Amino acid sequence: MNPGIDLQGSFIESLKSFGLPPGVAKVLWMPFPMLIMLVGATLGVFTLVWLERKISAAAQQRIGPEFIGPLGILAPLADGLKLVFKEDVVPAKADGLLFTLGPAIVVIPAFLSYLIVPFGQNMIITDVGMGIFLWIALSSVVPIGLLMSGYASNNKYSLLGGLRAAAQSISYELPLALSVLAIVLMSNSLSTVDIVNQQTGYGILGWNIWRQPVGFLIFWIAALAECERIPFDLPEAEEELVAGYQTEYSGMKFALFYIGSYVNLTLSALLFAVLYLGGWEFFVPIGTIAGFLNISDTTPWLQVVAAVLGIGMTLLKAYFLIFIAILMRWTVPRVRIDQLLDLGWKFLLPVSLVNLLITAGLKLAFPVAFGG
Amino acid sequence: MLKFLKQVGDYTKEAVQAGKYIGQGLAVTFDHMRRRPVTVQYPYEKLIPSERFRGRIHFEFDKCIACEVCVRVCPINLPVVDWEFNKESKKKQLNHYSIDFGVCIFCGNCVEFCPTNCLSMTEEYELSTYDRHELNFDSVALGRLPYKVTDDAMVTPLRELVYLPKGVLDPHDLPPGSKRAGARPEEIVESEK
Amino acid sequence: MNLAEGVQIVSFGILSVMMLGAAIGVVLLDSIVYSAFLLGGVFISIAGLYLLLNADFIAAAQVLIYVGAVNVLILFAIMLVNKRQEFQPVPRAWIRKAATAAVCGGIFALLSTMVLSTPWAISSATPAGDASVVVIGLHFFSDFLLPFELASILLLMALIGAVVLARREFLPDDDFEKAQAEALKLPERPRELVPSGRNETVK
Repeated sequence: MNPGIDLQGSFIESLKSFGLPPGVAKVLWMPFPMLIMLVGATLGVFTLVWLERKISAAAQQRIGPEFIGPLGILAPLADGLKLVFKEDVVPAKADGLLFTLGPAIVVIPAFLSYLIVPFGQNMIITDVGMGIFLWIALSSVVPIGLLMSGYASNNKYSLLGGLRAAAQSISYELPLALSVLAIVLMSNSLSTVDIVNQQTGYGILGWNIWRQPVGFLIFWIAALAECERIPFDLPEAEEELVAGYQTEYSGMKFALFYIGSYVNLTLSALLFAVLYLGGWEFFVPIGTIAGFLNISDTTPWLQVVAAVLGIGMTLLKAYFLIFIAILMRWTVPRVRIDQLLDLGWKFLLPVSLVNLLITAGLKLAFPVAFGG
Repeated sequence: MLKFLKQVGDYTKEAVQAGKYIGQGLAVTFDHMRRRPVTVQYPYEKLIPSERFRGRIHFEFDKCIACEVCVRVCPINLPVVDWEFNKESKKKQLNHYSIDFGVCIFCGNCVEFCPTNCLSMTEEYELSTYDRHELNFDSVALGRLPYKVTDDAMVTPLRELVYLPKGVLDPHDLPPGSKRAGARPEEIVESEK
Repeated sequence: MNLAEGVQIVSFGILSVMMLGAAIGVVLLDSIVYSAFLLGGVFISIAGLYLLLNADFIAAAQVLIYVGAVNVLILFAIMLVNKRQEFQPVPRAWIRKAATAAVCGGIFALLSTMVLSTPWAISSATPAGDASVVVIGLHFFSDFLLPFELASILLLMALIGAVVLARREFLPDDDFEKAQAEALKLPERPRELVPSGRNETVK
């Protein structure tokens, strides 16, 4: 397997050559990927907000943001600035401590989960062994924040929104985890890098989407429900609950919820690309192209091109899924709470269990195709 | 066992059908994305109001005979007609006339019933002010003519949907001289002769 | 002592203080909602301690199950039953208190003997680290097979029970009427109006 470029290794090596001890070099390296990821996630949110507004406008034959920067590209920035400078109102009878803590608990897991999103063989903050499981565990913390903010607002709409959000995310976590489990079964590892590596070698034909068509659909439905995107946006159903748990929030705290929901969507799309669409893989394996053109795998410029292509492909796949999510938003009406729970418990859960069972059976029967 | 299998089969069929319908819906939404926006970018582009547009009312002071028909036909007796009887000419003499467009519903009854046609509808609809009392137009303000959209150099005038040629839905970039669908009034008059 | 060890010791200290503080808060705070949220803090600190012990899978499972499921359900229950009512004086309450004291004392004694009998020397075996999932799985399917299967059957029973309860489609009539009469009463307790304007605070 071609290791690709190893920025961390080369950075630490170059620092060591200045005479620094390896521990210090590593400590100096550590903030870089985190900062890049933090900035990248925020930029991703900006892009996503802009895309959402533009695509929504296109789906409704409108123009969308137009005058704030070229093609309105600075509109999300203007939104953000507005929210930063807005007055931070805490309702008179709200519980100030929980009210402030709630949005933070919602946002932090979303950003933390970026730890395990790989953009290349070594382009990941930490390749922890439990990889994808970390994401599932972290995303299960979010409902606590939602309940907290719903309760602390001292408003019945907020409380109902928080309760709905919690019910929704605990019931859709199961199908999500089970469909991820089917993938893990095939790749014999929880690590996201291993999951992508298991899909490499055959280009587009090797991607998990062909081996897990059912899991693919379940995962996407469950991910949409986890992100509270439109067919499942009950917690903030504006006709019934004003804005759900966000009703009483304004200013930066509201912005945290806003960023959190979009970061979550981006994250789900990225992980979806990693799990089912081959992560950073190009449609045709890079190695094959290189072999065809008679270039060695270890050529430096090829490695740079491969890395850039990897980041590009991951983002391309993720944004394709986001595009579908936005299109879905203008296509499907919101489901009722009982329909939502019915779909989750009576349809997705049994189907994902059967999917897991079939995957296990196929793995035993055809170990070549389903990861022996 | 058979019954159970049939249930499972029906359930699957329904699930597939639901998926199909969602797919169809997505196709419709996707199709809308390639259509051109219908947006009229308001301060820069404006629609040309139609001939029968009921905008701000225009008033000609000299034609008015202070008969107060407009007040009687108005649903809320809105026009204020301030006149006094001129004993020499034995006629009513109009001092002031005003209509409050903050209250007017633009039904056009006054225009319809005015015996001397001193009231008429204009195409002006931009009646926003910072103070609602500014909308109480006196006879001088009522006598002003609105600025035509087609004369405004800052504005791209756009035709409304019914004034577009047949099959055209987009008012942007029409070829010059393109006629609207159907016969124009003067053509109908011509054909009736 | 190098940098990594220092970080470990500091985070161990922070996590222990957090855990103990939160646990004391759970017991002592008056507001049951605060207690429930602090319980989440306790679970998260325990997960952090697991992480320090190189057991990352256990830590994630702790967060997933205890914080994500158990604590959320506790909060859910508390918030759905948010009726503040007076305690009814229970006849012969001292029996309950004595029973609670006996159980607590028993558990304390058991744990104390456990603490005293455990050899606390630091094991020299290399931690499993990333491979811990495999090790845990092997144990589940060899020497811990029976408890594992028992636990899974228990969970399956709970799952089926939940499905049966959820699928019960009609309620008996008298229950229904009672529920309706109950539902027509407003369950909220009356609240005084919020003095938020400046004029009202002056009064």
